[in-house]
Amino acid sequence: MIEFWDYLSQFLAVTAGFCAALRAYLKSREQPWFLLTCFYGTFALGTLYWTLHLLLRQETPQVFYVSDLAWLASYVFLLALTLTLLDAGERQSRTGLCWLAPVFCLPQFVLYVTRGDLLLNVLMCGLTMMLAWCAMRGLVWAKRTENGRLRRFYGTVLAFIALEYALWTASCFWVSDTLTNPYFWFDFLLTLVLLLFLPAVRKAVEA
Amino acid sequence: MTYIENVFVCMAAPLVVALLSLKRGQRAALVFCLAGMGACLLSAYLNTFFARLYQADAVNAATQIAPVVEEIMKLLPLLFFLAVFEPTFARFRLAAVIVAASFATFENICFLTQNGADQILFLLIRGFGTGAMHVVCGNVYGGVLRPVWDSRPLRAACLFALLCVAIIYHAIYNLLVSAGGTPQLIAYFVPLPTALCFRLLARKAEA
Repeated sequence: MIEFWDYLSQFLAVTAGFCAALRAYLKSREQPWFLLTCFYGTFALGTLYWTLHLLLRQETPQVFYVSDLAWLASYVFLLALTLTLLDAGERQSRTGLCWLAPVFCLPQFVLYVTRGDLLLNVLMCGLTMMLAWCAMRGLVWAKRTENGRLRRFYGTVLAFIALEYALWTASCFWVSDTLTNPYFWFDFLLTLVLLLFLPAVRKAVEA
Repeated sequence: MTYIENVFVCMAAPLVVALLSLKRGQRAALVFCLAGMGACLLSAYLNTFFARLYQADAVNAATQIAPVVEEIMKLLPLLFFLAVFEPTFARFRLAAVIVAASFATFENICFLTQNGADQILFLLIRGFGTGAMHVVCGNVYGGVLRPVWDSRPLRAACLFALLCVAIIYHAIYNLLVSAGGTPQLIAYFVPLPTALCFRLLARKAEA
């Protein structure tokens, strides 16, 4: 039951984010707002499917996790948003800290592949790794140039990726369907982080 | 048993003859009509194949396999069109809607041959529900690609993401329909307002 409320609250939060981002896009017609709207929209659809499946069939999908495709689409839009926001100088910049992304992600990827589908995990981990790489590079660039325009956005992206990995790892070692399961703590935190994208993108666009 | 390939031959024959009587520049719409119906025919075969492969029951096949297969099959002719002919945004949008509408038409005809045509009210609701759902899935590409059409990498990334969006929308529809009762009624009535929302948003974006 807690899983249902967890996903329902996440769906409502993301839908609110979708409406706010859509309103900002219709007002400003700026591409970052459009991509954020798509990010929220796809994430909300994935969560809605999962919530409805739990509600109507009292079980998680048995053959194929269709929701994963929607979440995958949301990562694509988030990556597109990240690439749209960065400066020309930042694109050329290099830092060794970026390698922290594969160092953190690859061992987890190996764990997921042993327990799940190869193609979907390659896509999920590949996209999130690229996102983490861009966010690390952006944070280092922001510190070098003392430009705080994108710092909050990159911080939010990193928190989002870290929580996603925490969620996936927790789902590999499923404890119970109660609040004692760390999976639900991470997911409630993820819901909060998802809402932080709105002020972060606002700051990035308006600065 | 339904001989859908026979139905396809019957439906496609006049279109093929009409193609021969048209000039080169006027054939595109009919070709996309045929492509949509062909995609529907192939989807039916693939759905059966994957349902057997994963030993899925009818509900799992409808909610987790059919949306993935059908949306990928619908996108294939569009991808070919995009890769080979490099169309303008308007032509691509038109092609997407024609493929989706002809897919829905062929699916409805197959439904009629299987279940008879004696319940006009139910057929009306189902026809508008399923038909509108497929058109919404086709409209996703036309509605969302416009702001990113000029950037090739962004367009390619968004195209993949939009395929995932179409799949999840289709899956939510099938999930609600398979539940029966009130969810089924909701499912039949949701696509038409969604299509209208797309129309409104497209108008607002053009303004």
